[in-house]
Formats: sequence, structure tokens, C-alpha cells
Amino acid sequence: MTKYFQNIWETVTTLLTGFGITWVHMMKIKKNNVTLQYPEEKWPRPERNIGFNHDDYNVIRSRLTVDINDCIGCLKCMRACPVDCIKIETVKADVRGDDIQDVGHVGITSNGSKKAMVVTRFDIDMTECCYCNLCTYPCPEECIFMTGGPNADRHHIDYEFSEYDRTDLIYRFAKKGTQEKMAKLMAPKEPKVKA
Amino acid sequence: MGIIHGEEMVLNIGPQHPSTHGVLRLKVRTDGEVVSDIYPVIGYLHRSFEKHCENVTYEQVIPYTDRCDYIASMNNNLGYAVTVEELMGIEVPEKVEYIRVIVSEFNRIASHLLALGTYGLDVGAFTPFLYMFRDRERILDMFEMVCGARLLYNYIWVGGVSHDLPKGFVETAYQFLDYFEPQVKEYNNLLTYNKIFVERTADVGVLPPDVAINYGVTGPNLRASGVKWDIRKDEPYSIYDKFDFDIPVGRGELGTIGDCWDRYWVRMREIEESVKILRQALKGLPKEGDVHQAIPKKIRPPKGSIYKRTESPRGDLAFYITSDGKPKPYRLKMRSPAFTSLSVLNKISRGWMLSDVIAILGSLDIVLGEIDR
Repeated sequence: MTKYFQNIWETVTTLLTGFGITWVHMMKIKKNNVTLQYPEEKWPRPERNIGFNHDDYNVIRSRLTVDINDCIGCLKCMRACPVDCIKIETVKADVRGDDIQDVGHVGITSNGSKKAMVVTRFDIDMTECCYCNLCTYPCPEECIFMTGGPNADRHHIDYEFSEYDRTDLIYRFAKKGTQEKMAKLMAPKEPKVKA
Repeated sequence: MGIIHGEEMVLNIGPQHPSTHGVLRLKVRTDGEVVSDIYPVIGYLHRSFEKHCENVTYEQVIPYTDRCDYIASMNNNLGYAVTVEELMGIEVPEKVEYIRVIVSEFNRIASHLLALGTYGLDVGAFTPFLYMFRDRERILDMFEMVCGARLLYNYIWVGGVSHDLPKGFVETAYQFLDYFEPQVKEYNNLLTYNKIFVERTADVGVLPPDVAINYGVTGPNLRASGVKWDIRKDEPYSIYDKFDFDIPVGRGELGTIGDCWDRYWVRMREIEESVKILRQALKGLPKEGDVHQAIPKKIRPPKGSIYKRTESPRGDLAFYITSDGKPKPYRLKMRSPAFTSLSVLNKISRGWMLSDVIAILGSLDIVLGEIDR
């Protein structure tokens, strides 16, 4: 019999304790509100001093972006990718470090290295990307990064990053030249004969 | 007059069911409302992790380990990294070890918060779930600060970590711990000692220690049965031997040793122990040090094989790696703790009501990503 009343007592007291806690939270709802009304408000990204140093470099796992003018076509990012979502094709340039105006090829990167390769295709399929960030570390020119990387000031950060069509999520970074010029660029070259 | 046997019925729970914690299908043979047999059907989330690892390099395996136990990715990263390091004989700088312990203990708290919150949800308590998710969110925010990702981190690498801790991380971590410790008391008042919750969980689904050991159950589920076994203490990896913490074991305070309430309670107390470890680790974190110093240029372990286990929030997470001296693993086997926890379900839920099966399944804290791999 005592057990019976003890049970009732325990139930009532523990329930009231729980109600008390939720009541206190309800009273503090203005102060302690954590819900954000998404389309009007957005989650702030963690802030850091954005810079080239690895200590103060804001890492955000978002869309992969390539500064194609800086890309030397070394294929290191393609090899690092665990899901093979980066596809690069290159052609050897005639003269190392020269600009090729017709296809928008810039010969010298912002770090000052002369390019030996013309990138004719640089596609990243973001539907396949697993956001592991592994491709950004081996890049010698730091030209591939998740937006928010060292070159964040050059690109705006795409917050929603959504498209209506799946194919729109394949980003093509290589510059397009006219068809003739491209064909000329990609044509098999005559072997250099040493005199 | 013996026991009346009604007509038996096979009931399917899942694979799309909110309380199965993932895509798990349970074939339940019921007699009335009493469960006589359970056959878990798994494999809906199978991604061929082990075979896939044979085709990618050692660095590229790490994003895949993230996706095994996606609730506690840091601990999976750590388990893999520690294994490869031991195979290669890499000495890791002290700072890296401290960072690893900090992030993996934070992830243990986050994982347990999710386990406890959804367990409350399983037995009908909605409020604690929201409160626990609110606090888990703060941990995820901290991880976002550290490595940019909120769930699948790829943070702990072989020989180091991908980034140093950002400026102001230690202060944020202390702030969180100061805020979090009183919250645990609130959870206890709200859910742990709630009479309805205790009635649903105490004395239900008792897992005796001998059965647990025979089935290979590890982690909080084993400790709830009263077996004091924690890899962090018994076979210390990383720098866990430097920290002072207790191993909570189930004592059957409100029921029998090894019941659902004990499994819940062990997790709750493990959160407190993790807070203890975190305070010591944040205090001892070296200021100077390069986190990339010990990362090898090319990961090419010598010929041989290794089996190394670590304590993930779900138990004994182990990797078996055979190397043939090439940049890709010859064979990689992962022992997942949630798999063994699920295998014991049939044994401990026979004879219970159907609604108790949900409570028992929730208390085992399984993650299907890790079971199916």
C-alpha cells in the first residue's frame, strides 16, 4: 500500500520538476531563443582572420572554386580526390609562360610561375563532391579552394548553393576559346627536331 | 491448462521507420503483443567501405571513415589514423595528441547527446530531445570553427590534423563547458529520474554481463552490464593514460544491472567524464607546435598487418589493415561496435512487448552507417 502511494508521489513530483524546467525555459524564450527564421536570418559562419597562413585561414566546406588563371595543370587535385569528381585535360603550351589570347590562357600565375600547360577542361561535379577538402591541400598555387579559403575576397560565398537542374552543379572552369583556335591548340604537334 | 499460444504473426518494422535509428528492418515474430523472435535485416546502407578502401590511397580512406559512424566522425578518424601511425611507426607531436583528444571527446559528448535525446524521443519524451540538440549544435559550431565541416570532418589525418586550432577556440571551449555542466543536471531532472521514463526503461531488456561478453558487445552497453572495460583505460592509445577519469559502470540503481535505464545512465555519466577529460586536456594543451610536422609526404606503410582498437562512443572500434608496401591498403577491415550491439537485440528482447522492443533498440544506440558500412 505504501508502495502504491509512493509511486503516485514520485510520478507527481518528477513530472512537476520537468514541467518546472520547461516553464523556466518558456519564460526565458526571448533571451535564450536559439531558433533562426531561416530565409530571413542565416547562420553566421565562424569568423577567423582570413589570410594565407594556415593559422588564420577560414575553412568553410562549401563550393569548390578554381582561379583558372593561376592553375598550372599539375593534376594534383585530380589525383587527391577520393571520388574522382574533378576532371582536367591539358595541352602542352608552345612556349612556356606565354599568353595565348585566343583561348584566354594566361602564361604566368599570380605567384610568378610560368605555365607549361594550357588547361582545356577543368570540370568539377559538385553533385559527386564529398566535401573532404583533400584537393585543396596539395595545390602548389593555392588556386583550388572551397569558397572561403585564402582567396575568399575574390569570390562571394554561395550560401544556399542550389540549382534547379542537376547538370547546373557541374562547374566548368576552363576558359572557352573559339572552336578553330581550340582545334589548333589541341592538334597533334610536330615533334621538335634538333638541328 | 498450459500457456495459451495464439497464432503467431510476423511484423515488419522498417526500413523507413523513425525509431529504428536509420534504415534498419526488423522482422518481428509476435504472439499477440509479446515478441518471440527478432530478425534484424541490415544492408540497406551498404556502401562497400572495405572493398572501396582497397582502391583508394591511405589519405583518401579518411573521408570514408567519416561516413561510417557519421554521428562521431572524429572518433572514426582517430581510430584509423592511430592504426596507420602504429603500422608506420610515426611519432605524433604532443600538441596534435592533445588536439585529437579534445575533438574526439567533444564528439563523444555530441554523440551521447544525440543518443540520449533520441532515446527520450523513442519512449515519448520530446522536450529533452530539443534541449540536447540545442547543446549538440554548439559543439558542431565549434567543429565548424575548427575544420569548416559540421558532420563529416576529415580532420584527423595520419600523422597530424588538418588545421591547427583556430584563435579563440580554447576560450569558446571553456565557455561551452561552463555552460554545459549545469545542463547535465537539468537533463537528469527532466528525463533521467522522470517516473514515466523510469517505468519504461528500468528492468526492461536486461543484458547480463556473460551474454554481453559472449556476443562481443562493447562500449557503454557492456559497461552498463557492470563490466569495467574501457579501451581508453585498459589499453590506452593516444595520450589517454595522462588523464584522470573514471569509468562509469551500471549498478542497477533503479532496476537490474544491465537494463535499459543503466545503458542510458552510463552514457549520461560518460558525458560528465568527458567533460573532466576535456578540462584537463584544454589545460595541458601546448601553445607552440606544428600540427603538420609529422605528416608523411607519402603514406606507404611497410609490409605487414596490424589490428588496433580504440574506444568510440559506441564501443570498441577497431581497424585491421594489411599493407603490401603500396600506397593503397591491401586489405582493410573495420570492426564496428554497433554491429555487435545490434546482434544482441534478439537475445534480450525476447518475451518483451512490442513497444519495449523500441525502447531496447534505442538503448543500444546503433548507427546504421556503421553497421552496414
